[in-house]
Amino acid sequence: MLTRRVFLKGGGMALLAFGAGPTFLNRAALAAAPKASPGRRKVLVTIFQRGAMDGLMAVSPVGDRSLASYRPRLGMSAATASEPESAMLDLGVGFGLHPAFSDLTPLWKERRLAVVHAVGSPDPTRSHFDAQDYMETGTPGRKGTASGWLNRAAGLLGHDATPFRAVAMTPALPRSLYGDTSALAVTNLADFKVRLPGADHVAKSAAGGFESMYEQTSQSLLQSSGAEAFDAIHMLSDAHLASYRPDPAANYPSSPLAQSLRQIAQLVKSDVGLEVAFAESGGWDTHVQQGTSNGTFARRARDLGQTIAAFWTDLGAAQSDVVLMTMTEFGRTVRENGSGGTDHGHGSCLFVLGDQVDGGKVHGRLESLAQDALYEGRDLPVTTDFRAVFSEVAGKHLGIRDHAKLFPDWNGGRISLLRG
Amino acid sequence: MRRSKINSRPILWAMSSLLAVSLAASAARDPGASAAHRLPWREAGLTAREAAARLLDRFAFGARPGEVDRVAAMGPDAWFEHQLAADFPEARVPAKLAPLHSLAMTSEQYLSTYPPRAAMYREAVAAGVVESKREVGAKGPAGAAGAAAANDAAANQVTGLDRPEIREKLLDFARRKGYRTQREAIGELVSQKVYRAVYAENQLQEVMTDFWFNHFNVTLTKNRSRPFVMSYERDAIRPNALGTFRGLLEATAKHPAMLLYLDNAESTANTGAHTSMARSVERQRDEGGMFGGFRRRRLDEGMRRFGAEQKAKKKPQGLNENYARELMELHTLGVDGGYTQDDVIAVARAFTGWTVYPPGPLRKNVQTRVERAMRADVGFELQGDFLFRSDTHDADPKLVLGHTLAGGRGMADGEDVLDILAAHPSTARLIARKLAVRFVADEPPQALVDRMAQTFTATHGDLKAVLRTLAESTEFWSPATRRQKIKSPFEVAASSLRALGAEVTDPVDTVRWIARMGQQLYAYQAPTGWPDRATQWVNSGALLNRMNFGLQLASGRVRGVSLDLERLDGGREPESREAALATYVPLLLPERDGGETVRLLTPMLRDPALAGRVVGAAPEAEPGEMDEETAPFFGRGARQEESTTDRRRETKSGGKQDYFDSLDRLDRNRPPLHLEPPTPLEQVVGLILGSPEFQRR
Repeated sequence: MLTRRVFLKGGGMALLAFGAGPTFLNRAALAAAPKASPGRRKVLVTIFQRGAMDGLMAVSPVGDRSLASYRPRLGMSAATASEPESAMLDLGVGFGLHPAFSDLTPLWKERRLAVVHAVGSPDPTRSHFDAQDYMETGTPGRKGTASGWLNRAAGLLGHDATPFRAVAMTPALPRSLYGDTSALAVTNLADFKVRLPGADHVAKSAAGGFESMYEQTSQSLLQSSGAEAFDAIHMLSDAHLASYRPDPAANYPSSPLAQSLRQIAQLVKSDVGLEVAFAESGGWDTHVQQGTSNGTFARRARDLGQTIAAFWTDLGAAQSDVVLMTMTEFGRTVRENGSGGTDHGHGSCLFVLGDQVDGGKVHGRLESLAQDALYEGRDLPVTTDFRAVFSEVAGKHLGIRDHAKLFPDWNGGRISLLRG
Repeated sequence: MRRSKINSRPILWAMSSLLAVSLAASAARDPGASAAHRLPWREAGLTAREAAARLLDRFAFGARPGEVDRVAAMGPDAWFEHQLAADFPEARVPAKLAPLHSLAMTSEQYLSTYPPRAAMYREAVAAGVVESKREVGAKGPAGAAGAAAANDAAANQVTGLDRPEIREKLLDFARRKGYRTQREAIGELVSQKVYRAVYAENQLQEVMTDFWFNHFNVTLTKNRSRPFVMSYERDAIRPNALGTFRGLLEATAKHPAMLLYLDNAESTANTGAHTSMARSVERQRDEGGMFGGFRRRRLDEGMRRFGAEQKAKKKPQGLNENYARELMELHTLGVDGGYTQDDVIAVARAFTGWTVYPPGPLRKNVQTRVERAMRADVGFELQGDFLFRSDTHDADPKLVLGHTLAGGRGMADGEDVLDILAAHPSTARLIARKLAVRFVADEPPQALVDRMAQTFTATHGDLKAVLRTLAESTEFWSPATRRQKIKSPFEVAASSLRALGAEVTDPVDTVRWIARMGQQLYAYQAPTGWPDRATQWVNSGALLNRMNFGLQLASGRVRGVSLDLERLDGGREPESREAALATYVPLLLPERDGGETVRLLTPMLRDPALAGRVVGAAPEAEPGEMDEETAPFFGRGARQEESTTDRRRETKSGGKQDYFDSLDRLDRNRPPLHLEPPTPLEQVVGLILGSPEFQRR
């Protein structure tokens, strides 16, 4: 029988047998962290909507007269008999959901999906770069913060980790995952191996050579990271990478976002120790021809909604361990512009999905949209600091207690969003 | 730099110098004096070859074939002095850089050759080539009401970019105008970095350029600073890399890349503060004299128009503290360097009015006003693309780190702040430590850091003197600090190419690999720069890519690089894998103990399965793997990436389709790599390059 050392961050090392039964990592987790529930750990999956989503188009206050007058071309009626597909989906709480998000309505009805509205940053910037930077570091107004909030979150989990603890499905590590805790950026899990195009057998043999060199090097960091790398490769091959198929009922669209979430679901279900995942969705900067039930916004929304719904189905029994949260750097102007779009604004909304989520509700406080109530006379005012949401999710779902480390310089209250 | 600030503020410098009087004498030694035997490598028990190898590992991007012998023959001390003086003639670099036209351009030329998309769109719309979104929008049902709500930002966009005929029109327009893509210019920027690291004789200058760029980091990921990143390295960093710290500080403070990256260009006096221009106008009024009446009228008229234009612009006014904070936290004092939030505000106020005179198409928006202000002599200053605007400068007195800056002195405020910061003992400690971390170990000996800091202070930040203190230290040569550093991905790539004596004809694929190993060149988003420590670079994913880079480079799978591995051993073909291993470990890892590497690899090389299968027909590359070749610029390795380039690239500015990228792709029509199975020698070399030992320096 084969034995392998499994390195676990934090010092644990277990001699394990593998080849049968549950995946060896699963056992490693059991051996090293008795407090962990059998199987996987809690996983936070985040989706950054780059470009700033129009929160008022995603989730609109029903029948708001001023909104209709601000947006003569972008308004959608509440459900009318004549064109049911193009009407807002009535959420039953004074809000309508954009029809392109229709795949999300079952999750809403099951009370697993919640919306937080008028959420955003206290910093007034309307620069994508700055606002994304501030949201990803979790320190609005401060450029020099070295680490990202998700990296700090991963570092605060306080137990042993596998190489797959924090994973971004992006070509380079996002700002959210900059920092001291090791995190992986990978776009295609199939690439996670020793590769030599056109010469697989050589690659395989070279992998053996590398593995033994790294196993015995005197440099401890190279040794432990080398061991991790090869453990990770073995984990993935144990997870039957090549033959893996998502749940047939999971109807993923063919988009980069769906590709990312499909692989995140795969990591979750493979029990490789994923705890913090990051994916991104582009195309939300809808200055031009934003459209209504069809058009630019609707295309992005459909992709996001279908992807999230498919991801959730794909998770199956793992759903209870996962919370998914979307985020976007700011919202858009309350008024439409001259080109049928909206410009950079302030507050927006986000989605949170999970079994423990207090769902079927729009959380936060959407102020009146009357002219003099608008932020700088043009934007949705922010009434919930994004950190109030992030720290709630990190606290209740991931069990992170140290909020001063997670969000330095912030002592605002958390918004109540998750049960327990 | 406009003038030396060192001489103008003798008291400040003298006071800080008192702390290090005893060192001043030794540090002030004539650098031109005989360099013989100053570096204590003999005392450390090293041979000249070992000393040469260590110098090349640290003050260069590794040794090229035969270079250890050459440096040993010349004498390690002499080599080091030449590196400090950067006076070796450059044999290869000029020819490699000659075809990269963007590198020599002024900002004006650069921006008119590689216009930002928005500017190009505007022009295409003005020329009637395509419709603007505004027009398209105005045709919609809301017509006038909608158009009235449109803002300036919205006018930059062109609708219909997803339609091929619109894209074709824009492409045509760009070609006729002779415009090129920013992406192409970025390709040249990253290429020159690789070329210089691989081919430059004056290696230390390149190492220090890399170091100081990272210290004063700016990034291509911010749209506004992107067009200035090339000239930032060329004009602000490289010429000062072995000069004085004060010189670097001012060059970076005044460069558009930094002014835009850390938002100082936007920082203006808060409402209520007196501006320099107001004071200057007052002064000129008071001067009166024969032409007083005329002058007053002209000034009044100028001020009135200026005020009206300012109002019309409706730019958000006020202090932006970003640059001030990072200047102290990251560039000089360090986070615990002894400054307060009040200092941040005072420094930010001192730098109000330090902004950019925008080159390129944006200049016309401000040109008339700036020229008028220059003529009116109201305290504006223009230095290339740097503009000091007295009308937005806070002219009230300030208290910075205990120093009082009197009111009403305009640009001198900021320059004084740079003097104060450059002379501060916290700065000396921060820079000394950072250099020691770079050249010795992640946790350098404190005694060494202290001596370097003393030299820094005693020499007023003479960077050559500080490096000399470093190289003359016993710590630098001690066995305890040997191979303590993990190479950055850039160092891995550069040292591999150098060790192999590679001929690089197109570095872009190498740059993709550097990104896969965890370092997107010129694209680190945070002003901290990359943390210079092993844990930043070593994690499972990055390590795998180091192994893969080694394997693929050695077997000819990195585009734009050609190798002649046998030439490294005088053209001899190794008799066996074991023989290859025994020969190439010392060639690629000179003066290292390669015994471990050899011992661990030998059994693997005897694997009969491997040996038996290396001969035979070249297998077809798997389609998934081949996609690497067409993957977009920054290290994306998978098929899915290619189809999504447009969206990915726009993550920072939103979600617009990247027209320029498609243009670039249209022009690209390279044949795929021919994937021969690797020869035994290539396998062995790949394993050595990917080995733990090769990751260290």
